[in-house]
Amino acid sequence: MRNLTNQLLLFKKYIHELNSFRAVIQSRCYSRPTSFPDYFQNPIFRKEDQLKLIENNELSKLASVPIKPPAVYETSSVYHDPLVNKVINHVMEEGKKKLARSLVEKAFENIKRIQIERYHLATTPEQKSKIVLNPKEILHTAIENCKPLLQLTPIKRGGITYQVPGPITEKRSLFLAIKWLLEAANEKERTVHFPEQFAWELLDAANNTGKVVKRKQDLHRQCEANRAYAHYRWQ
Amino acid sequence: MSNVIKFSFKHIIPLSRCSYVRTKSTCLLNIKGYSSKAATTDSDVFDNFTDWETLSKTKKISKAMRAYLERAKEHDEFMKKQQFEFSIGKRHLANMMGEDPETFTQKDVDRAIEYLFPSGIYDPAARPLMKPPEEVFPARKAAEFDEAGRPHHFLFYTGKPNFFKLLYDAAENIQFLYKFEDKVIRKKETPYPNQNLDLSNTVWFTKDQLEQHLVEKLTDLEYENFKLVMERLISLPYSYQFKDFIEKFRKTLTSQKFALEIPKPNFDEDGRAYVTTYECLRKKARGDVTIRSPGTGKIIINGKDITYFEDTQSREQVIFPLIFTGMQNKVDVECNIEGGGPSGQSGAIRWGIAWGLRSFVDKNMLEAMQVAGLLTRDHRRRERKKPGQPGARKKPTWKRR
Amino acid sequence: MFTRNFRNICRRYSQSVTFRTTETSPVQQNDNQVGLFYTIEKDVCKKLFGHGGLPKSYMKQTKTFTETTLMIRQPALDVIDCIKASDLNKPAIRYVLYGETGTGKSLTLAHLIHYAHDAGFLIVHVPWVSEWLRRVPRHKEMSNSQTREGFVDLPLDAAAWLLHFKTQNQTLLKCGDLKISKDYVWSKREQTSAGAPLAELVEQGISRVKYACDVIDALVYEIKLLSNNKQCKTFVAVDGYNCFFYPMTRLNTPTKKKVKPEEVTLTTTFMELTKNDWTNGVIVLSVDQIAVPEDHQESYLPKYLLYKKGFEHLDPFVPVEVGRYSEKEFLSCASYYRDRLWLRGPEDLETELKLASACNPYKFMELCAPL
Repeated sequence: MRNLTNQLLLFKKYIHELNSFRAVIQSRCYSRPTSFPDYFQNPIFRKEDQLKLIENNELSKLASVPIKPPAVYETSSVYHDPLVNKVINHVMEEGKKKLARSLVEKAFENIKRIQIERYHLATTPEQKSKIVLNPKEILHTAIENCKPLLQLTPIKRGGITYQVPGPITEKRSLFLAIKWLLEAANEKERTVHFPEQFAWELLDAANNTGKVVKRKQDLHRQCEANRAYAHYRWQ
Repeated sequence: MSNVIKFSFKHIIPLSRCSYVRTKSTCLLNIKGYSSKAATTDSDVFDNFTDWETLSKTKKISKAMRAYLERAKEHDEFMKKQQFEFSIGKRHLANMMGEDPETFTQKDVDRAIEYLFPSGIYDPAARPLMKPPEEVFPARKAAEFDEAGRPHHFLFYTGKPNFFKLLYDAAENIQFLYKFEDKVIRKKETPYPNQNLDLSNTVWFTKDQLEQHLVEKLTDLEYENFKLVMERLISLPYSYQFKDFIEKFRKTLTSQKFALEIPKPNFDEDGRAYVTTYECLRKKARGDVTIRSPGTGKIIINGKDITYFEDTQSREQVIFPLIFTGMQNKVDVECNIEGGGPSGQSGAIRWGIAWGLRSFVDKNMLEAMQVAGLLTRDHRRRERKKPGQPGARKKPTWKRR
Repeated sequence: MFTRNFRNICRRYSQSVTFRTTETSPVQQNDNQVGLFYTIEKDVCKKLFGHGGLPKSYMKQTKTFTETTLMIRQPALDVIDCIKASDLNKPAIRYVLYGETGTGKSLTLAHLIHYAHDAGFLIVHVPWVSEWLRRVPRHKEMSNSQTREGFVDLPLDAAAWLLHFKTQNQTLLKCGDLKISKDYVWSKREQTSAGAPLAELVEQGISRVKYACDVIDALVYEIKLLSNNKQCKTFVAVDGYNCFFYPMTRLNTPTKKKVKPEEVTLTTTFMELTKNDWTNGVIVLSVDQIAVPEDHQESYLPKYLLYKKGFEHLDPFVPVEVGRYSEKEFLSCASYYRDRLWLRGPEDLETELKLASACNPYKFMELCAPL
């Protein structure tokens, strides 16, 4: 178990390095299928990305190519985060974006209030500096901690369906992390409101405790247990 | 242009001097010694002899060739007639419009037809048009085989010789580039280090354009194959050597529309510069946006403040171009919109503001706006619901049997 | 003089100081301090607003920021100046605060109540009228009034309000100078005699919930008499006054008939109080769009919200508009939020927030919440 987690952690570090290179292309990770023809390029409207382009002298080349307009939920302000938008989309049901957005914003507000309370209760400056006050950062860390590194695929051999551990793509692991967080938040008592429950889940996940992280660790343990069947993927 | 009607004919005479006569005209050529325009006097002289060999030999033409020749003859006559009618019609049209028939260009013809036959049909291809017959009637291939039935093209039996010749050429070029690269590596020199292919402004031909170019029908799979091969060709180093070959199949995009006609601001009573953009559309919202230059960042929508939009997303969209260009405290915005919902209206205003800000912003920021996509008009509309389906794309439950 | 300029210069350079002021009492605040925040001490806050008076969202903020601060704004200062300058021997002047939703009417009212408390007024404060007339949980305690035919009583609400009144005016009631003028007989065994202190009347109402509404009636009558006799100066504050004039309430009689506001005893009581037939007092009311249901929320102007009856009842009144934040106020609020760790991020984002919230205080607070 420990060996596997160590290997998984090394793997994760490697992927993290790769991700830092991919930071520039992040807008393409969330590029959406639209009815514009193939040769339209994705827009680049964040100030940091544009600065990078100016450094590489590629701005004028891109300016001569047709570019899609940015979507309705994208702005160039610093407060816009593609991950937050993805979470809002997953929370949304029946196309009610306003409601979903207000729920997620209320959850962030709750996180902020809880963290500020903790900040005021903490006595030493060291403790104070450890408390993260920005709810978006907490969301990022929570999702990072919840992303599984392997997944189990059912493969049928000789009449028995084995659960075979296999690799997982970046997109799918992100999707699973958000889905598990929302499922955990929905298993709430009747009197507790969704934003509060979601806030607690996020804080727990950012702390590496709580239901969702446990679920991910269970999955990793299962993968380790079924390691023997890994070769079934290639049979 | 090599695939337009080209008629090559082997004129078999016992005398070997003028072996074959090649013409590009649309005159008919008979099999036996018809005098073509480019015929020399010698052949005329010789034709007057009735040779015993020529009389006895009966030419054997394959049935396919005969059928083709008849069809070609009909087509040529038809095209000639159409050409004649077109030229006369053009002159009549010029007379009707009161213009000089000699200097009546195709553009004038189009204008005249639009004036005389106004049509409310949406599809431009369905409206009345008058164009030279070459454009109207599709091109046909020349004789693919001679009168013995032997095909001219070595890939004739593939059924799409031009297309496969294209692929063959591309493959040959790729092989050549491999060998060239090997040579370069061996010699350890780089010839022409600064040359590069610049294909940023161009796209590959669409399937229809390629079909038109090759005068052959293609399937989707073949078109995808073509694209793959050409992409492979481009991706190799030293591909600039085949620049002509590649550029034959690339279409330039109409670019830089946003920088073409930047309107100059007018001046109103207070002496402030203002620019109005009409026809700001997005989904079903229609409106116009006025930007006044020395301003304080006030935004007025339909007479109300930005509180016209109650939700944060729409307000952020309206503010987006102002913040992006940094002009939030320097201009005033006034707009009237109607129709659509909050998304559509805010999207229309966003485009309107960005389009109007072009006049007040310098060139670098203009390019930055274009890269950000603020200046592209969003032409997406709601997709129509199809019959037999619950929605535009949603299908009823799929049953395997 | 030199030191004051120096202090001002220091203030301009150190961002963290510019949004606060050290004056804690509204009596001493003046125009120099527009846009600055002042802190209300905890006991004063608990005393004045223990049972309501501050909006719920604001109460959450005070908990997060661990302090209760109010911004000094121009409308509040205007009203304070008018009160200071007015002659209390003339009939009571009525001020009506109006404005769009979320511009700070309730908080301005709270500021004025703090001022009244510091200046020694007797405070009669109704925290939110819609609470009585429109908030109907499963079973609302209602009873038919005994003293008046066909009227409806709200005993629990009345008792709660009397408790609120008592906590607000603790000091004044303890002095014991305020005495009742006539006898009140509640039942065979209970009565309050003339000459008893006002506190006893209030106690009577709190302990005997059944008679609470009648107690309030009597209280109002007594207060008017006392003010006319110059024994105390009164400050009346009602938030959401236009709720009294909306045609319907959400209450139902046990016979399932809808109750109109005029049939509720509390309405008549407070309409009596807000008449201008008594001296030595100040009346401040606020009309709010959200006090009425959403069909009738087209405009925020008093004439629309008060309907004909309310407008005629209040006829000579002083309208005071509570507007959105000005530039200076906005910057000061933003720096306060930064200080309290409510808002984070680079400095130039304030322009974005300013445009997006359109300088509406409530909207600004909502926008800063998830950031």
